[in-house]
Amino acid sequence: MKYRDTLSGLVFFAIGVTTAWIGSGFYADTAYIPVGVGVLMSVFAVPLMVRGVVGNTMSTSMPLIHHPLRFFVTLACCVLFYFLLPIIGFYTTSTLFVIVMALLLGERRPAVVICVAVVFIALLYGLFAVVLKRPLPVEFFLAS
Amino acid sequence: MFESLFHALPVALQPDSLLSLVVGTLAGILIGALPGLNPVMAIALMLPLTYGFDPIIALGLVAGIYNGSMYGGAIPAILLKIPGTPAAIATTFDGYPMTRNGQGGLALKTACWSSAVGGVVSALALMTLAPLLAKVTLAFGPAEYFWVAVFGLTSIAVLVGKDLSKGILSALLGVIVGLVGIDTLSGEERYTFGSLYLVGGFDLIIVLIGLYAIPPILEMAEKRNESYFNADSFRVSAVAGGLGLLRNYWRTWSRSSLIGVCVGILPGAGGNLAALLSYNEAKRRAPDPDSFGKGNPVGIAAAESGNSADNASAMIPSLTLGIPGNLVAALVLGALMIHGLQPGPQLFTKSPDVVFGFMWQMLLTAMLLFVLGGMVATRLFAQVLRLPTALLVPTTLVLMAIGVYTVNGNVVDLYVMLAFGLVGYLLDRLEFPLAPVVLGVLLGPMAEQNFRLAMLISQNDASVLFTRPISQGIIALLLIVLLSQLWKYHRRNARSSAAPPSGSA
Repeated sequence: MKYRDTLSGLVFFAIGVTTAWIGSGFYADTAYIPVGVGVLMSVFAVPLMVRGVVGNTMSTSMPLIHHPLRFFVTLACCVLFYFLLPIIGFYTTSTLFVIVMALLLGERRPAVVICVAVVFIALLYGLFAVVLKRPLPVEFFLAS
Repeated sequence: MFESLFHALPVALQPDSLLSLVVGTLAGILIGALPGLNPVMAIALMLPLTYGFDPIIALGLVAGIYNGSMYGGAIPAILLKIPGTPAAIATTFDGYPMTRNGQGGLALKTACWSSAVGGVVSALALMTLAPLLAKVTLAFGPAEYFWVAVFGLTSIAVLVGKDLSKGILSALLGVIVGLVGIDTLSGEERYTFGSLYLVGGFDLIIVLIGLYAIPPILEMAEKRNESYFNADSFRVSAVAGGLGLLRNYWRTWSRSSLIGVCVGILPGAGGNLAALLSYNEAKRRAPDPDSFGKGNPVGIAAAESGNSADNASAMIPSLTLGIPGNLVAALVLGALMIHGLQPGPQLFTKSPDVVFGFMWQMLLTAMLLFVLGGMVATRLFAQVLRLPTALLVPTTLVLMAIGVYTVNGNVVDLYVMLAFGLVGYLLDRLEFPLAPVVLGVLLGPMAEQNFRLAMLISQNDASVLFTRPISQGIIALLLIVLLSQLWKYHRRNARSSAAPPSGSA
């Protein structure tokens, strides 16, 4: 039994059924495609589930996550980065994010990390703030 | 007509015009290379600044930005698997694997030359076939557009990836994502679950960056101590160009440029569709289709010449009929009107120097890509990969954040991008192809809208979808692709079941 195929088939089947079920409540022709797509997804998920059940258990596939610690540290840093962006400001948060992430990912040359972070953020500032004048979250020390 | 065309050449070659072409092309490459920025945004920002300029200079900047950005979008697609523009989706399929295999330089050079060739062919089509091709667009109604969308969606779902059902499920998932938000025809909210954010639906560029760019970045972070990129990737100068590339890719370039020109003249069908159809066709005709998606330069040649060949041809309906084929064409019409020129058939008689001069500018900027793209931009951007992985990961994440944030100025978009990134990561690990998901988001709404318009016009008579000759032609093509793929799957399965299991000896 190939658990991944069985499980992914089940998930797609559930998404298909839910899409069709919710879609059936839409008004007139607004429902055609949602119902059609939902039904098609459920239909195509069935062979995947069946193949998963009768499939070869010996088949090797790559692990879902190679290195869970680094994977979740990266994700956590991203969430924290997005959370702090509107509070601290784009350029300050981005500079801190580059420095912290680089150190967490194993870069052990602080001077290189700081230099790259500062030059990179300066280039972004020049392009987005000075040339293109794109509005980005304001720095906390500049907010009135 | 040809007399007016050649009369306009000196106008396009004036020093001011040439300067605007160089500045526009360089700016276009930079804009295309930055995810989140696109030529539409850049041209819209630039137009008000050109009020005081001669129209030919303003149009030169437009031509440069438009052609430059098509190649620019390929640079992050190849180096980082982030499509700089939606039209660069198909470039990631083989571009990024080539970078991983140590052929980043060759991938960039192939993309640059292919973009330039596609742009030149498209400009020549604009100059010579404009009035004739404009008539073709009028023959396309909602039923034909519906089949074009279905053809694009189905062919990519069955051609990409090893598993037919996984490809189709991916495409259907994309269509469902594309359904979220207010229905444009009836105004009804669909799958919004009371969320104000979902009312507007998912922005394509956010889905695109999330699905495509986050998974390789997470993988890069996981493997930080292992060699992620091959050092040979950086050597651009050592890669053969010019005649060598011409010899290898002329068939692909010709076929893809033709597809790009045909797609370009259809209003609403953009460079992304042209690139994907060209890629599919190149894969279908290749003697080694299994090498596609693993780093085959022919895939890049097809995708890039296809999306660039869409550029000038998209101007055909707008210049000849006054009907803009895409947003850039609409902005070109806006630029003409700003300068007191009325788009439409009379434009060719009232202001031939401007309209034919613009055609020459489209050709010249495509040719400039050989120089500016190959010698300057490619060498400069290839240096990005020299950064250590531990620094490349956070800087790329910041670049993605700025690209996504600038779309709507909403922090929630960043979380949505990350969520799509996780979905993409999971699908990738479960061996579901990601390209059909993106294509589903892109073509699903186009297919639905045209299907419903066709039904509305025919008063719910479904035969309207099958009775028109162009529709029948597209359906025949669709069946050929589907049946040939089913036959290939059948043969592959028969061969694998006939072969003795490994290790049984």
